[in-house]
Amino acid sequence: MAALQTGSGSRPAAGARFFCTAGRGLEPFLMREVRTRLAATQVEYISGKVFFTTCSDLNMLKKLKSAERLFLLIKKQFPLNVSSVSKGKIFNEMQRLVNDDPESWLSAISIWKNLLELDAKKDKLSQRDANPLKRKVGENDITNPKKLKTEQMQELQESRECQLEKQMEEETVEHGGFLTSGEKPPEASQNDVVKAAGTPDRKDLTFRVSCRCSGTLAKTFTAQEVGRVIGIALMKQYGWKADLRNPNLEIFIHLNDIYSVVGIPVFRVPLASRAYIKTAGLRSTIAWAMASLAEIKAGAFVLDPMCGLGTILLEAAKEWPDVYYVGADVSDSQLLGACDNLKAAGLQDRIELLKVSVIELPLPSESVDIIISDIPFGKKFKLGKDIKNILQEMERVLHVGGTIVLLLSEDHHKRLQDCEQSGIPLNSKGSHTDEPGIEKCLNPGEKTDLSDTVSSSSEAISQGGLDKMPPFGSLVPMECYQVSLGRTDAFIYKYRKSHSLGL
Amino acid sequence: MKLLTHNLLSSHVRGVGPRGFPLRLQATEVRINPVEFNPDFVARMIPKVEWAALLEAADTVPKGPIEGYEHDEKFLRQMHHVLLEVDVLEGTLQCPESGRLFPISRGIPNMLLSDEETET
Repeated sequence: MAALQTGSGSRPAAGARFFCTAGRGLEPFLMREVRTRLAATQVEYISGKVFFTTCSDLNMLKKLKSAERLFLLIKKQFPLNVSSVSKGKIFNEMQRLVNDDPESWLSAISIWKNLLELDAKKDKLSQRDANPLKRKVGENDITNPKKLKTEQMQELQESRECQLEKQMEEETVEHGGFLTSGEKPPEASQNDVVKAAGTPDRKDLTFRVSCRCSGTLAKTFTAQEVGRVIGIALMKQYGWKADLRNPNLEIFIHLNDIYSVVGIPVFRVPLASRAYIKTAGLRSTIAWAMASLAEIKAGAFVLDPMCGLGTILLEAAKEWPDVYYVGADVSDSQLLGACDNLKAAGLQDRIELLKVSVIELPLPSESVDIIISDIPFGKKFKLGKDIKNILQEMERVLHVGGTIVLLLSEDHHKRLQDCEQSGIPLNSKGSHTDEPGIEKCLNPGEKTDLSDTVSSSSEAISQGGLDKMPPFGSLVPMECYQVSLGRTDAFIYKYRKSHSLGL
Repeated sequence: MKLLTHNLLSSHVRGVGPRGFPLRLQATEVRINPVEFNPDFVARMIPKVEWAALLEAADTVPKGPIEGYEHDEKFLRQMHHVLLEVDVLEGTLQCPESGRLFPISRGIPNMLLSDEETET
């Protein structure tokens, strides 16, 4: 790819190819998001990763909300042939990943450098502009401590997020680095972006390999062995030096039964860890995904009646600002935490808090446009509330045509399915299959070779879930998604209120 | 608690129903928070406002939406100030029917009812 012309000031001419990791169940959201936010093309979902092409720069890429991590793609190809007995042969295949087609490596690295340089230029430009204008003295002093705090938060988040990310892998995964004992040093010496150390000559590049092996391959090879083979091949091929502490370039490799993928992580800190959230409650990616289903429009009144630390409201308010948000909880400690979070994010003026019970909302009937909530799971939630009582009260305060998006545990999911048998009156419009919501659950329509089998199974999950979602009074089920929370699974339910309760 | 929020709250004491609105506001500590003026947002909130309740709660308020309010910056700024910049930090909200008092503390109204008071 040609070097950027100075003065063009915007983006790479052709699109670059990226991939993101995503939590299980969030892939349809991520595919939708890259299309909407980044005008991405050639979007495919294969086994835990979403691949796409886009011209967007780092600023836009940084805004992705439903992804775990973002990588620039170097190579994606068919899985290594592990059937051959000789380990040596397989090592050769791995070396070929590096040696065959060096152009794909070099062009990816060139794109990566361009992205960083463009970002660095933008930073310099905005700083230069600040000087000729008369600004208050010490403005830079004010912004720096904030930056530091952000970095510190990101460091903490990163090590925590790595744990969560690992839990989310379905297959047994080994994670190892080239020549290390397998830890990931949680540095963030620079805000967000992997350091490019100016514009070094290719020979001066330092690198580190991060390797994941799963499936059949993992039974024979450790991630460390593979990392070592790849690392040595890279050193031989390109003359780079290995640096485990603070490399310019990180190479990420994932080998499994479905593909071999090589990429460059674009940001040091996972996208899923948000700089603006001080204490996360619900996983931010899921919170954002729920908000994205709720059809939030400017001027809406959005309520989270079990807001906890306020994660859902924070994600929603960041994305859809011209909206009136109210959070409620019964717990003082949660409300305090939410208050803290709001202040830390600078959103305390846009989100109001109430100490209120979800089964007795002090709101007139049909006064709320949208309800989004993570219904607490399990035994630690001791208020003796029944999911049906909760839904009934939510239904009461909702406007006709309003939407409810909930995160429910398996237990809640089962209890709601039982509704049908217990004789709660069904909506006369009854048949879910007529609902336009079903279209949304299905694959957004991109057809590719490998992804067909996998995406049809995610369709099956969504659609199967929807079939089991009975209506609840006047609440008509629209969409249902099964998502992973790490150790357990949960269900995102979307309802729309179809008619008034006539109270 | 902003006055826009007060405008939405209704008492849920048993038997009270729609007579539980609006709650009588007694503020003991109020803070004025500068909030960025967004005329579009304020214009969208105007149709949702219950004016009688707002007039009870606040002093200097326009008597009602004026014609063409969407483009009347002066009106919108006034409403913006009243609805979004006045923050009640301490005080009480009183149910007009039952007299039940709900405290506001650190800007957060506590509207939890005890079991006897609830509607169900």
